[in-house]
Amino acid sequence: MSELIQVAVKYRALLISGAKVTLIVSLLTILFGLFFGILMAFLKMSKVKILRAFANVYVEFIRGTPVLVQIFLVYYGLPLMGVEIPSIVVAGFDISRIVSGTLALVINTTAYVCEIVRGGIESIDYGQTEGALALGMSPQRAMLAIVFPQAMKNILPSLGNEFITIIKTSSQISVIGIADLMYTADTIRGISFKPMEPLIIVALIYFLMTFVISFILRFAEKKMKKGYAR
Amino acid sequence: MEEKSIISVRNLTKNYGSASVLKGINLEVKKGEVVAVIGPSGSGKSTMLRCINAMETISGGDIYFNGESVARMKKLPKLRQEVGMVFQHFNLFPHMTVLKNVMYAPVTVRGELKPKAQEYAMELLKKVGMYEKRDAYPSTLSGGQKQRVAIARALAMKPEILLFDEPTSALDPEMVGEVLTVMKQLAKTGMTMIVVTHEMGFAREVADKVAFMDEGIVMEWGSPRQVFEETENERVKAFLAKML
Repeated sequence: MSELIQVAVKYRALLISGAKVTLIVSLLTILFGLFFGILMAFLKMSKVKILRAFANVYVEFIRGTPVLVQIFLVYYGLPLMGVEIPSIVVAGFDISRIVSGTLALVINTTAYVCEIVRGGIESIDYGQTEGALALGMSPQRAMLAIVFPQAMKNILPSLGNEFITIIKTSSQISVIGIADLMYTADTIRGISFKPMEPLIIVALIYFLMTFVISFILRFAEKKMKKGYAR
Repeated sequence: MEEKSIISVRNLTKNYGSASVLKGINLEVKKGEVVAVIGPSGSGKSTMLRCINAMETISGGDIYFNGESVARMKKLPKLRQEVGMVFQHFNLFPHMTVLKNVMYAPVTVRGELKPKAQEYAMELLKKVGMYEKRDAYPSTLSGGQKQRVAIARALAMKPEILLFDEPTSALDPEMVGEVLTVMKQLAKTGMTMIVVTHEMGFAREVADKVAFMDEGIVMEWGSPRQVFEETENERVKAFLAKML
């Protein structure tokens, strides 16, 4: 125990910096993943066949391949496609690596969020759409004002799980040299020659993050349930 | 002078794949009339009703709303603002209070000002006896209360005609009365209504015209007296014997 605290105190600057990177990457992934996931869900339910086909292929491919492979594909693939992100170092972080790591995670998350959102929307009784249309609402308004809010409420628990998964999955971006929490554990292990302590410390920090998120979500769920029950 | 029909159904047909549900329906509804549509389950009553506000696409024939073809109509939301509908399963919006359910469409679709829409919504809620529950969410209401709110919600759009799709079929028996009472009041105010129903008492007492549908056609058509008492049609007689 005292060993743990010693290591944690000694390398606190590294740990805090790693935790920051993990948090920033996860938060960005959640934000953009949610946005593009919802967008992808609407593509998948679109009346236009090509859009539907694109979304289907996208989701199947992303869900059928390992995230580690996706991270490497984006990291090595972007420069090959002519997209060069300048290697600027801001506040000690290499932006170019973080961008490609985050992008890979967003690409991955989009597919999962898409499926969650689509399931949520399809779980809403068609009577809701009919009720809205019968009042003269446009199909778009019926979706956005009537069906979508109900769907989002229903899928909040699944989305919460997805957010927690993102934090954990983000540890894999350390393979392309992003100095996140997992990378920090490796670094500390290398300089201190202690294999266990840094890993345990990092595990606890990951757990703290996911626990806080699930706590917030449980609170939000309760609050929404108070509003109306189905 | 013969009054013009609000709704004129002409030789309407509807197929689902190879199954034909409606096989040439003709129906005329004039302003202020209450038309009850009765008949056995699966006879196409609801399908016919849902064609009128374009919830179902028309396969053949046509429906005219104030002389305009529904089959060729481009702006369906506009039609549906004029032709209200009350559903068997209410379809209230669970994430809105009773009051918001009633005033949401007038504000967002018709562009009415909020205070004005709210005032009218409250008035309607008073009419259907749901004013006290205006801040409640639908999940806390009984079936009869939900349906009364649904009627107020449809009326809030100031439609020219209201379609009722088996409005009491999903209700516990003790709640049927309160909904029928509201509908009777509505009929008295001169609201044009087409009511698909299994409530023979309502059809007999309130309707100006009764249509008996079976096997996708209107088999009998006339005043309640003509349909309930003077019919020669064996199918109608058999159905009524079972229902009454």
